[in-house]
Amino acid sequence: MSIIAIVALAIIVMLAGAFYVGRSRAIAAVAGATAGLHSLPNYHGYYVAIWTGLPAFLLLAVYGMFGTPLVDRLTASELRRDAVVLTADFEAELVADTATRDLEEALTMLRARAAAITNSMADLRDASGSDRDPHRLEALGVEQTELVNQIATAEEARLARRNMLRDAVARAAAEDGASLRALAGFELVHAPRERRQLFLSDARRIATDGLASRSSDELDAAAAVMARHDTQMRNLFAGLALALAVAGLIRTRGQVAVAFRARNHVESLVTAMLFLSSVIAILTTVGIVFSLLFESIRFFSTVPLTEFLFGLQWSPQIALRADQVGQSGAFGAVPLFAGTAMITLIAMVVAVPIGLLSAIYLSEYAGPRFRLTAKPILEILAGIPTVVYGFFALLTVGPAIRSFFAMVGIDDVVTQSALSAGLVMGVMIIPFISSLSDDVINSVPQSLRDGSYAMGATKSETIGRVIMPAALPGIVGAVLLAVSRAVGETMIVVMAAGQGANLTANPLESVTTITVQIVMLLTGDQEFDSPKTLSAFALGLVLFVITLLMNVIALRVVQRYREKYD
Amino acid sequence: MTDAIHNPADELPIKVAARDVTVSYSGKQALHNVSIDIPDRSVTAFIGPSGCGKSTFLRCLNRMNDTIEGAKVGGSLTIDGQEINDKSIDPVVLRASVGMVFQKPNPFPKSIYDNVAYGPRIHGLALSRPELDEIVENALHKAGLWAEVSDRLAHPGTSLSGGQQQRLVIARAIAVNPEVILMDEPCSALDPIATARIEELIDELRENYCIIIVTHSMQQAARVSQQTAFFHMGNLVEYGPTEDIFTNPRDTRTQDYITGRFG
Repeated sequence: MSIIAIVALAIIVMLAGAFYVGRSRAIAAVAGATAGLHSLPNYHGYYVAIWTGLPAFLLLAVYGMFGTPLVDRLTASELRRDAVVLTADFEAELVADTATRDLEEALTMLRARAAAITNSMADLRDASGSDRDPHRLEALGVEQTELVNQIATAEEARLARRNMLRDAVARAAAEDGASLRALAGFELVHAPRERRQLFLSDARRIATDGLASRSSDELDAAAAVMARHDTQMRNLFAGLALALAVAGLIRTRGQVAVAFRARNHVESLVTAMLFLSSVIAILTTVGIVFSLLFESIRFFSTVPLTEFLFGLQWSPQIALRADQVGQSGAFGAVPLFAGTAMITLIAMVVAVPIGLLSAIYLSEYAGPRFRLTAKPILEILAGIPTVVYGFFALLTVGPAIRSFFAMVGIDDVVTQSALSAGLVMGVMIIPFISSLSDDVINSVPQSLRDGSYAMGATKSETIGRVIMPAALPGIVGAVLLAVSRAVGETMIVVMAAGQGANLTANPLESVTTITVQIVMLLTGDQEFDSPKTLSAFALGLVLFVITLLMNVIALRVVQRYREKYD
Repeated sequence: MTDAIHNPADELPIKVAARDVTVSYSGKQALHNVSIDIPDRSVTAFIGPSGCGKSTFLRCLNRMNDTIEGAKVGGSLTIDGQEINDKSIDPVVLRASVGMVFQKPNPFPKSIYDNVAYGPRIHGLALSRPELDEIVENALHKAGLWAEVSDRLAHPGTSLSGGQQQRLVIARAIAVNPEVILMDEPCSALDPIATARIEELIDELRENYCIIIVTHSMQQAARVSQQTAFFHMGNLVEYGPTEDIFTNPRDTRTQDYITGRFG
C-alpha cells in the first residue's frame, strides 16, 4: 500500500476522532449543560473535523492531479542536464554537416518557387480580358502540385538526415562510455515530441513495475531517476498532508469554547462549498463557450465569415495540408443550415401535432385509468437512446420509404434521406412536446374551464377557445425547446440522413446537418490547426448560438405565461 | 320537511323546483333529499357553514356536477316545469339559460369584448358584427361596467380590478340571456366597496332574472335576498322569506348559525 493511501486512511480516522474531540470538549466546557453553548456540540465536532480533514485532502487532491506531471518535469530536466555535452556535440555536428546544408538550401529554393507560382496564379485569377489564360493557370496548378510534393520529399530527407546524425552521435557516445543517464537525456531532448512522451511513459511503467512497450538500458536509467523523484514527491506530500491535519486538529481544538460560534463557521463553510459547486458549473460553461469562440476565431482568420455564413458550397475534405494552396476546400455552410432546417421542420411536422393532440387527449379527455398507463408509455419513448432511433431510421424507416416510392414508380429514392431522419426524430420528440404541453394544459386554472362550461360551451369549444389560448405561450415554449433539441440531435441524422452536403428542398435526397458535419470533421486522426478541423468549431458555435437563442426565447415565453396566473 | 317547499313569495311564479334532490361524490353523499321551490325575478340566498351542501346544490341547477368525476345526482329538478336531469336535456343548452358566476373572478385570457362575446359567439346569438357589438354593450351596461370599460374593450379582461373582473364575468353570463343566474360566493374575493357595487348590481338584476346566490356573509344574505335557505350537513334545514329567517328562525340550528354560535 502506498504511503499516500496510508496517510489518507489515517486522516479519515483522525476525522472521526476530531469530531469526537470537538463535541466532547464543547460538552465538557459547560459541564454537560449544552443549552448554555452558543452552538450545539455537534457543530463544534463538525468544525474541528472539517479543519482537520479538508486542507489535508485538498493537498492530496493536488498531488493526485499534478504529482505525475511534476515528477515527469523533474526527471526530464535532471536527465537533460546530464546530456548537455552530448547535445552540444550533436549541434556542432549538425552545423558542420554539408548534406544537411545542401538539403536546407534546396528547400529554401523550392519554397521560393512555390511562393512565386502562388503569386502568379493569384494574379492570373484576378486578371481579366486577354490576360486571362485558363490553360496557363492549369499548367501552373500542375507545377504547383509537383512543387508541393518536392517540398514534402525534401523535408522528409532533411529529417531523416538529422535522425541519422543524432543516432550516430548517440552510438559514438555509447561506445565512448558515456553515462546511460546522459544517453537517456539526449534521447529525451532530441526525439520528436511523441517519442519524448512515449519515452517518459515507458520510464514510468518501468519505475512502477508496469509493462513497458520496450526496454533499454537508457530507459532503465531514466526509470531509476523517475522512481527517486516519485518517492520524494510522495513522501513530501504525504508528510505535508499529515502535518496539515494535525495542525488543523490542534488549532481548532483549542478554539472550542462556550461562546465560540461553531455553527456560523460550519454554515459559512457549507455556503462556500455550495457556492464553489455552482461556480464550477458556470466556469465550465464559460470555458466551453470560450474554447468554441477562440477556435472559431482562428477558423475565421482563414475563411471569411461571410463565405462561411452565405457560401453555397461545402466540401472541407480537400484541404489535407496547409501548403496545398490551390485547394483550400469550400466552407460555405448554407447547405448544412438548410439540411438542419429541413430535418428539424420534418421532425416538427411529425411531433407538434401528434404531441399536442395527445397532450390534449391525455389532459382533457382521457379517463384516469388510461392516463395512468399512457403517460408512462409515452415517456418511455423519451428514454430510448438516440442510437436505437438511429438504426430504426436506417434499417426500417429508410427502406420502407424507398420501397414505398418504388411502388409508386419513383425508383431513385435513396435509403438515407432527410425524410427518414426527420420522421424518426419527430417520433423521438413527441414525448418531449406531449409531456411539456400536458403540464402546461393542466396548469390552466380549473376556474377557466368551469367558466367556459358554465357559459354552455362544449368540451371542444372550451379547449379551442379558452384552454388553448391560455396555454399557448407555454406550448410555444415547449415547441421551441423541442426545436432546439432537434437542431442539436446528432445520432439519428448521422445514421439516417446521409452525409452529402446537398443544397436541396427535396426531402427524399440525402442531406447533412451541422451536427453530422462536426462529427465527420473531428472523428479519426485529425490535425487541429487545419481549416477543416477548425470549421467544426465554427459550426459548433453556430449551433450553440441557435440553441441558446431558442432556449432563451422559450424560457422567456414560459416565464411570461407563469406571471399570468400566479 | 314539507313546509320548506312552500313558496314564500306567493305573488311570483315558481322558476326552479327541486324534489328530493340527492348528490353523492364517489359514493359519499353530499346532499340529502333537498326539496325547494324558488320563485322567479327575486334573489334567493343559500347560507350555511362550509361543506353544508349549498354550493353542491347550486351546481346541480346547471348540471355543473356533470363535469366532476364520480358525481351522482338523484331526485327531480325542474326549471319552468322542465326536468333538467332528463336525458333529452343537453347540459350545453341548459347552461345557456342558467348562467353562473364563480367565487373567484375568472375572466378568460382574452379582451374585455371577447370575454363578453364568448357566449353569444358559441351559441350563435349574433348574425353580424354590429349585432354582436350591441349584445356586448347591452350586457356591459346591465352589469354596470360600460362606463368604466367602453374606451378599452380591446384590453385583456385580466387587466381589470377584482371587482371589475367580477362584473365582467356577470356581463359575460348576462350576454347569453339566461333566465336563472347562479352566484357562488361572488363577493368573497372582493373588498367591501367592490362588494357593495356587486350587491347593488344583484338588486338591479333581480327585475329580470331569477338569482340564486350562495354566500357566507349573513349580512349580505339579509341585504340582497328576498328568500333565504339554510343548509346544514347536506340538509336543507329551513327556507322562508329572508326577514323571517333572520328575525324568527324556527329551527334551533338556524338560530345558532345566524347568531354566530357555530359556522
